Amino acid sequence: MTVRLPRDATLAAAARKLGLSEDDVDAGYGLVPLDPAKGLYGVRVSDEAARRVRPEALTEEGEGVHADPRIEPFGPPRPGG
Amino acid sequence: MRVMIQLRPEPDVVAAVADPEVTTSASDVADRLPGVVLDESFPPVAVPRPVPRGGDPLSLRRVAFSMAPQDATVLVRGEIGDDEISTRTALLPVAHRQVAGVFADPVIAPGLVCAGDPPVGDWQRVAELLDTAGLRAEGCDGSGVPLAILDTGINLAHLREVLGREVTLDAERSLVPEGVSERPGEAWVDHGTMCAFDALIAAPNATLLDLPVLLSQRPGGSAIDGLLSDAVAAFAHLRSVLEAMPEESRALVVSNSWGSFSPRWDFPVGHPGNYSDNPAHPFNIIVGSLEQAGADVLFAAGNCGRDCPDGRCAFPDRPIVGANSHGQVISVGGVDVEGKRVGYSSQGPGRLSDQKPDLCAYTHFSGSRVYGKHSPDSGTSAACPVAAGVVAAIRTRWPATRLSPAELRTLLQRTADDRSVVGFDYDYGYGIINPTAVLAALRRLEERRV
Repeated sequence: MTVRLPRDATLAAAARKLGLSEDDVDAGYGLVPLDPAKGLYGVRVSDEAARRVRPEALTEEGEGVHADPRIEPFGPPRPGG
Repeated sequence: MRVMIQLRPEPDVVAAVADPEVTTSASDVADRLPGVVLDESFPPVAVPRPVPRGGDPLSLRRVAFSMAPQDATVLVRGEIGDDEISTRTALLPVAHRQVAGVFADPVIAPGLVCAGDPPVGDWQRVAELLDTAGLRAEGCDGSGVPLAILDTGINLAHLREVLGREVTLDAERSLVPEGVSERPGEAWVDHGTMCAFDALIAAPNATLLDLPVLLSQRPGGSAIDGLLSDAVAAFAHLRSVLEAMPEESRALVVSNSWGSFSPRWDFPVGHPGNYSDNPAHPFNIIVGSLEQAGADVLFAAGNCGRDCPDGRCAFPDRPIVGANSHGQVISVGGVDVEGKRVGYSSQGPGRLSDQKPDLCAYTHFSGSRVYGKHSPDSGTSAACPVAAGVVAAIRTRWPATRLSPAELRTLLQRTADDRSVVGFDYDYGYGIINPTAVLAALRRLEERRV
């Protein structure tokens, strides 16, 4: 999820803004600054927790729930496409 | 795109073309055709006109072919830019009475290299083609330039054994995701080690940073089970690495030979949380932010080329997706050492930025021996770090403060060895990376700045 926070924000502050408990956010992953100049941060939450976030908690530009797709090494290419 | 243009010139011109004793050229028969670059090396060819023969209307031989100058037409060969093809093909016959038709002129080459094919050449040949000796002579060997490999981890001992020399890896500035037990440089010999080997071809003295994001699969815990979030964290780490460097020598090259194979793992296109087509996805944002901070970010175009796609490819079209098609990265397709696109190299257009891939680099050569002595370093997975090595070599003398990532990207595009059609095309991008031409352009740029 992406969330806008003041500079030097904490994971707890992100959880509060999203209306979640600290247990709902992935503490090992932490609060990742995506675009510090714009105060945009990323947190990782469970599918279930993401559903509990109320839309009114995510009103600022760039905030929201985003896909976290599986990524794989491209090679070596496998036959059979 | 290569095209054949059918012309109906004056009968005396047709007669001259048909006469084996007379030499004619494309410009003799075709007046200026806007947007078409005529191939002067291709002599015009007279083509007979089918005419009714008469007699039995059911006979298979009811058509005859006339080479009479008033009947025959003339074919010339040329190229039209990919982005203009539909407009030009529609306008040419209207604006020029002589143009009877415009036809595709597809490449009819022997089979392209595909998965499972043996290596074509070796890494020493790649070094020759990149003129790494010339790069070194100019002081461009990657010394002091951090080169991040986001992959399955690097095995330093394997690199040292195959190369027979020391390799520099900075463990402190590397990043091991939570849950991964291997320390930087101590991963199993796999894909990431191949990428590191290939990056060192052009930048033997670069400082490797090991970020094994592809080892960090954690089930559950995210909206859609996956790992792209680990790449987000890795890019955030790299931005702090970059910002900690002195401004006058700031440079960071980031090589990414991975991507998403399937829309199944993504929100649908149009959903605000979608990754593949959405520049506002957090990973696409942080990629742009790292480039803006001064990093050169390279992504493999992928192995979903039409001729022989990887069996995992699940996007029905436009397989260069997400950050692999980002406008601020260099998307790298693959060619063999003979300069031919490998059949599995993904073709554009890209989903975030239309004009992808940006360029091609060498792949499918005998190199790291990661997959065995007789197996190639293959895929756009190998092409991407080969190009990243060239970028790192250039950065030895031209840090980001002297030449921004956007400027270097443009320079790489403009100096690439053009293939297939004039300028950009969706198979080769702007062409094959050409370090010698980049250095020459930089020398000219330097002279202008003095």
